[in-house]
Amino acid sequence: MATAFRRGIFLMAEPLIKMRGITKRFGGVTALSNVDLDAYAGEVLAIVGDNGAGKSTLIKVLTGVYQPTEGDIFLDDKPVRFSSHAEATAMGIDAVYQTLALADHLDPAANMFLGNELTRKVAGITFLDNKRMRSETERVLMERLGVRLKSMDAPTESLSGGQRQAVAIARAVYHDDLRVLVMDEPTAALGPQETARTLKLIETVKAQGIAVILISHSLDDVFQVSDRVHVQRRGRRVGVVKTSESNTQEVLGMIVGAEEAA
Amino acid sequence: MAQTDTHMSDSRPFTERLEPYIAIIGPMVMILAILMFMGIAEPARYFRATNLNLILLDAALYMPMAMAMTFVITQRGIDLSIGSIAALSSILMAFLIKQYGFSVYIAVPIAIALGAIMGLINGLIITRFNVPDLIGTLAMDLVYRGFALVIAKGLVLARFPDFLTEIGRGQIPGFIPIPVVLGIATMIGGYILLKRTYFGRYTIAIGSNPEAAELTGISVNRHKVYAYVLCGACAALAGVMLTGKLNAIQATSAPYFNLHVIAAVVVGGTSLFGGRASMLGSFAGVLLLSMMINALVTLRIEFFWQSVASGVVIVSSVALYAWMQKKDRDGAGGWLAGLQTPEGQKMLRFSAALIGILIALLAIGALFSGSAAPSG
Repeated sequence: MATAFRRGIFLMAEPLIKMRGITKRFGGVTALSNVDLDAYAGEVLAIVGDNGAGKSTLIKVLTGVYQPTEGDIFLDDKPVRFSSHAEATAMGIDAVYQTLALADHLDPAANMFLGNELTRKVAGITFLDNKRMRSETERVLMERLGVRLKSMDAPTESLSGGQRQAVAIARAVYHDDLRVLVMDEPTAALGPQETARTLKLIETVKAQGIAVILISHSLDDVFQVSDRVHVQRRGRRVGVVKTSESNTQEVLGMIVGAEEAA
Repeated sequence: MAQTDTHMSDSRPFTERLEPYIAIIGPMVMILAILMFMGIAEPARYFRATNLNLILLDAALYMPMAMAMTFVITQRGIDLSIGSIAALSSILMAFLIKQYGFSVYIAVPIAIALGAIMGLINGLIITRFNVPDLIGTLAMDLVYRGFALVIAKGLVLARFPDFLTEIGRGQIPGFIPIPVVLGIATMIGGYILLKRTYFGRYTIAIGSNPEAAELTGISVNRHKVYAYVLCGACAALAGVMLTGKLNAIQATSAPYFNLHVIAAVVVGGTSLFGGRASMLGSFAGVLLLSMMINALVTLRIEFFWQSVASGVVIVSSVALYAWMQKKDRDGAGGWLAGLQTPEGQKMLRFSAALIGILIALLAIGALFSGSAAPSG
């Protein structure tokens, strides 16, 4: 499979994603100024920072929702420009939002293929192939995420928070050419047990050679799963630390800016 | 995760397996209640074959519209103009046939196409001009009804070719009436549309989570317009069926279509808050309303009580589903866990209350009709 191949080439040589000198202004407000970001295949990069530090804007630029005022994005050393989120998705950069963007009344398979349904033709008329979508969903959930749902018929609203998360992630990883997965506050609304499951999902995705970019307010989660931490403050990157060589105190200091004051 | 979940799958509680069928259980309980009540009160006249035929004939008229309205309501919309669309398109059809000598085989498709165009106008007004669906279709209801009155004045157009009366009240010998076949066919078509096509899938997605639907690249507005077009076409079909049934049409025909159809759909478990659709429920809802109205007639209860009964059924159904939906969202350890045991009881209790209200209503009605001075 393509993932196994990708896992082989992730030797930290070159970043998969390079953002250089990203500036984003909304009218007179500068949301991002001259931000650099590197993300490697097969690692979890956490982006932390206070409210209004520019985390969301940064990933919206990366996923094509916003276009940068200045700066360049490189994917595999090739410059790319996204004029829409769909273009970014086509290049293998996808995002799982905090709200998960699931239609709660549809079953997990319908959600996974929403907007991208599998079909078959009966007498020249195109019908949805619910059976195949269901088996594909089961396969992807099991093979890629190690998750098995108790019922594929139940509406998604009846699933637990972690399972809903799994369905949303499965939707992103179903595309075999997924290379970068952005996760926006995945654990914000979850209890401790569901949080642990979601963090495990993140590690599973990472192990498949995908670059995971995690936005989180919870430093506990960040230190548990990330490889590096990118700290934003007031629209600037104040530093990047290796998680293994840092601690909560240091990162917290960077977030609130205590270091500069000292 | 996998282990605990697979363990669960074998011992799923009864109420959870029941859950997909909740929508159909509500109206079914009420239908049974009516059958039982009538079995005691007026078995001879209610269960006659001709009377059952009457019930089916009445229900058939509403089936196409209930099918289309299920899509509109699932998308969090509403269409209050179907009565006028039915009247206007069949008036136009009647003029084409009577005045301009059109063949009935051409006039009927033209009527349905006209209905679709009126639905298209509704849809465009709602999506392009951002007029709320409630106001938009209510206003267009006035417009269409106005046009019908302008065109037909006070005329009653009557006596149409056989093809039309066959559509409206023809009978397949030894079997069910032709309009019933038409109605059931549209319901089956609607079921397939809902479960097996992009349109149905996106309809639920749009009603369930419009933002998510937009994010995944679904063209929300286009699918909303489709639903209104379908609704218009089905209203016109119902207008054609009504014209055939009465063998006459006038500008003020079909005044109660709107609320009757919406009531049937909502009673059937399709949620006014979007996302929850049940075609089978809509079918049962249509049957229920027709049976209830027929029961009132059979009991010789004054015509005006019908409107009271319909209103009570609508309010209680919407209240029930709103309540159930609120329970869903309370969460606190998964709503299924919290809802499993009380669910069946709640349904029962509610149904009992509803039946109680209905019986009380019928009793009051019977009392009044008994003591009132004979008026003919």
